[in-house]
Amino acid sequence: MEDESRNSIATMPVLMKQGAEAKLYKSTFYGKPCIIKERFTKCYRHPSLDKSLTAHRIKSEVRALLRCRMNGICTPTVYFTNMENSSIYMEEIEDAQTVREYIQHVQANENSDTANNILKPLGVKVGEILGIMHSNNIVHGDLTTSNMLLRGNPAGLDVVIIDFGLSHFENFAEEKGVDLYVLERAILSTHPNTEDFFQTILDSYKKYNLKSSVEVVAKLDEVRLRGRKRTMVG
Amino acid sequence: MDSTISLALFRNVENAKEVRQNVMNGTFEAALLKPSMICDPFQVIVAANRAIHLNRQNKMITKNVHSEILFCLSPTKNISDSFRKFGLADNETSVMVVVADDIDGSTMSAICKCVKGELSDAQDVIHLTETKLIQKIYKIPDEELVVSKLLDSIVSRISSKDVLTL
Ligand SMILES: Nc1ncnc2c1ncn2[C@@H]1O[C@H](COP(=O)(O)OP(=O)(O)OP(=O)(O)O)[C@@H](O)[C@H]1O
Ligand SMILES: [Mg+2]
Repeated sequence: MEDESRNSIATMPVLMKQGAEAKLYKSTFYGKPCIIKERFTKCYRHPSLDKSLTAHRIKSEVRALLRCRMNGICTPTVYFTNMENSSIYMEEIEDAQTVREYIQHVQANENSDTANNILKPLGVKVGEILGIMHSNNIVHGDLTTSNMLLRGNPAGLDVVIIDFGLSHFENFAEEKGVDLYVLERAILSTHPNTEDFFQTILDSYKKYNLKSSVEVVAKLDEVRLRGRKRTMVG
Repeated sequence: MDSTISLALFRNVENAKEVRQNVMNGTFEAALLKPSMICDPFQVIVAANRAIHLNRQNKMITKNVHSEILFCLSPTKNISDSFRKFGLADNETSVMVVVADDIDGSTMSAICKCVKGELSDAQDVIHLTETKLIQKIYKIPDEELVVSKLLDSIVSRISSKDVLTL
């Protein structure tokens, strides 16, 4: 039979989320559920500078999504990149919640010891993913619990990493240390009593980034100290 | 803005050479693909969508939208290599036909008249797929296939082609 597929890129994208740098729409791409991530211009930035920065972000994101996949880390499939309207069309991860929502849900329903126990396997999994990413020199640049999705039953630990616009590809312990520091700050400031959860991530990370974890963790300690000094002064 | 992509799969084809000549001499405008290199019709849709987009932006690398579909399907930036790997060869007995913007369906019906073979469901291409060869040509490592379907791995590469230096 002949298969006629209408170009459905234009079929009523529904605005899902308006972030600081991008709008996210839900739509379909030739029948498949898709998310359109459209970066918009910032009026306070110089137009041509803005355009090249936006293009850079899109390229970084698309590249890192594929590089992660090549190394066995789940990321959404990219269907189409349109540089003209600064959009990435990607697979919608269905039946998913953010790790942020999941932690909040667990903490709201359990006492703190039980919550820590429930979250432990997730910490191990997240540490594994970050260890693999860093050992392949992929630095995420914006590690938060909103940028990790948990697909299906949380017990399945099917974690999908998203939002790679600030990612870069390099082999510096400093960059990787900052990546972990950003995550630590994000976790501790978003979720109370998660010191153990972050420690679980770090312990697991060390096992999966054998090449550079000693250096990276030393950098993390250095950055933590700098951060603390800054708050003491300020 | 709206645009269509029509696909058709023919099996037991007896006159691949003749069909190819008709495309070469412009009797009809279509892309003729090797079904062994296709794992799912969606793979073709993603490549064709990209070719149509590049055509609208006047940013095509090849001379028309149908040759661009072949080029977009291929992971390499070498045009003749893309045509060789993904395009129909004269000795083949099945073909996947792609036509962009065949609004009134006249191109596809002309092709149907010309092809001596069985029209099949495009989805049946899965029976003709050479998985191992595809994996090699798109350079998909085994560890990737632990977390990714073959189709998703291919699609990711097609959509990332212009931002990649693999
Ligand atoms: N592929 C996807 N599948 C399902 N949900 C997604 C997908 N991509 C993004 N989301 C949802 O949209 C939210 C924002 O996406 P993303 O992080 O990529 O954009 P952002 O502009 O950086 O947003 P934020 O500023 O909140 O980080 C995610 O936290 C997630 O809930
Ligand atoms: Mg985000």
